[in-house]
Order: sequence, then C-alpha cells, then structure tokens
Amino acid sequence: MDQVVDPTNVDALSDTQLDVLERQIANKYMRKVPWGAVAWGIGNCAFFFTLLPLTILGYVPLWLGFVLATVSIAASYLPSHEAQHNIIAGKGKPLRWLNELVGHVSTLPLAYPYRVLRATHMEHHAHTNNPELDPDYGVHAASDWDYLVKQIRGRLGGDGGNTNAYGETLERVGQSALFADAIIYEVVYLGVLFTLAWTGFAIEAALLWWLPRHIALIYISYYLSWAPHHPGNETSRYRDTRAFKSRFGNIVSMGMQYHIIHHLYPRIPLALTPAAYRELKPILARRGCDLGAL
Amino acid sequence: MQQIIKFIFSPMAFALGFLWPLITQLLIAGSLVAPGWTAIAAGAAIAVPWGLVAQFKGSWLWIR
Repeated sequence: MDQVVDPTNVDALSDTQLDVLERQIANKYMRKVPWGAVAWGIGNCAFFFTLLPLTILGYVPLWLGFVLATVSIAASYLPSHEAQHNIIAGKGKPLRWLNELVGHVSTLPLAYPYRVLRATHMEHHAHTNNPELDPDYGVHAASDWDYLVKQIRGRLGGDGGNTNAYGETLERVGQSALFADAIIYEVVYLGVLFTLAWTGFAIEAALLWWLPRHIALIYISYYLSWAPHHPGNETSRYRDTRAFKSRFGNIVSMGMQYHIIHHLYPRIPLALTPAAYRELKPILARRGCDLGAL
Repeated sequence: MQQIIKFIFSPMAFALGFLWPLITQLLIAGSLVAPGWTAIAAGAAIAVPWGLVAQFKGSWLWIR
C-alpha cells in the first residue's frame, strides 16, 4: 500500500490521518509466517520430551535437567500463542495444518491444552482488564513481589485470585466441550507423574516436570499478563496494555516489553513487534499510551 | 465418571499418587530412613495426613 500520510510529524496529523498511518505501518508487519516460532515450538517440545528420559536414565545430571526443563517449559507457550492468533496461517490457508500443529505441540511440555488456551486468550483480548470478563484479571497485584506471593499462595490452595477463571470463561462463551481437553491433559500429566513416582523416579518427576511447570507458569503469567497490563485499571484500546523496559532484556522478558503492539495488532508476529514498536512509537505517544522507559 | 475425575484431581489423590513416593524417596536420599517398608511407612505417615489436611482445609499450607 502506498504511503498516503506524511509520517514525519504525527502531531500535525488529524485523528483520521493518524488512524490511516497507524494501520499502514502495522500492515507492513503482518501476514508474515514466523518460521522461527514454528521451529521453536516443535523443536522445544522434542527437546523437552528427549530431556526427560535422558535425565531419568542418568545421561544428564539431575540439576542440569531441572534447569533445562524449567527453561524449556517456560519457552513452550509463545509458539502456541502465535498459533492462537492464526499468525502462522489463518483458516482456509494452505499452512493452516501447521498453525494448528504448532499450537497443539508447543504447549505439551506445559501440559496445557491449546484449544482451551486459545478460547480463553481471545476473551482476554476482547475484555482486557475487565474484572468480570478478562480470564487473566486474577493475576493483577500491587507490585511484582505481591504478584509472586499471590501466585505461590494460589498454587498452594490459598487465596491467589480466581483460580477457576478459565473454566468460567469457557462456560460463558459456550465452549464447555473444551473441558474434555483440559481433563485429558491433566489426567495424562498426573498419570505420568504418578507412574514415575511409584516406579522409583519421584524426585526426577518432581524436578523435571512438576516443579519446573509451576515455576514456568508463574514466569509466563508474570511477563504475559502481569507486567504488560499493570496496574490493570484501564480498559481502553490504547491504555489497557503498556510498554515497559525490562531490566533483564527482551529475551528473558519473552519479548513482552512490546506487548502493547501485540494487543493493538495481534496478527504481528512476536519477532517483529520490536520493529513495529519503534516505527509506531510516535503515534502511540500521541495516543497517550504508557510507553514506560522503552 | 464424574466422581472418578473429581477424585483424580483431589489433593488426596495427589498425596497418595505423588507426595507419598516423593517423600519416601527424599527420606531415603537424605539417609534419614533405610530403604524398605520403614521408608514407605514414613512417607505415608507424612503424605497421608498432609493430603487429608489439604483435602479438608482446601490448602496445602495453613495460610488460607
């Protein structure tokens, strides 16, 4: 599409011109297959399920297996996230099968079903920061330390926010059939843990899948839900998500410094959100977005 | 079927299926108990009451 608006001085543009320019810039980054995410999702899953037997059989030290498993599970969500937004291929496209394959396969280490994640994540996008309708609203906490305490308490059965938010969301959107996916995943996951435990590998099961999964879920939720939506009290398009500068860099923060781009244009692949952010930044600043120190 | 699923996901099932052998093997690994029935009984002595507390209290710790 030809440039029809001068991007050099966004302050001089009308609201309509700003809309046009914003969409023109965003469009440049969409409709690109994220092959890196495809390889990452399938490769990481293969890595995790190879690591388990290698560590159990003693080829990999348990301490190293624990570290690698934790990193692998923490890295397992984002390729599925690309698939949830049909970024690899939309419905009816030739590579649709690959989109669904990556979606399903990449979250196997996380033991979380793709279709449940997709259905609930779409509701998160539709109702970001809405206390009644956003299934991720429960992660909100006053500070990152409060977030950590709340998550640990929630996992131990204490008050950690609404722990059944995903179930309630599935019911509300008429997707209760997906409970079957969740039950199957949980039964298989627990079945593997229990079988390993009662065949003499309980410590290995705990350090290779049980504890790493809890750590990974807290980590993923921190960077995907808490940090980019904090303080979580605004619901408008340009204010429900913020940019932020992570002291640990873009890779450790899983690219979520630029999560505001994802919420504005969910079809932009994760790897392209930094470039899109840099180009859109003057427009976002004029929109009144919270861009932090990024 | 619903009752079976409810039990599988219960704290008590987790205690029996996972915590019991885990505690047993940790006690053995830490040389606190010799391998064998004593270790299994010791694991049960910790895991079963803990699971019962979680089952009826709704929390693995007393922080609810």
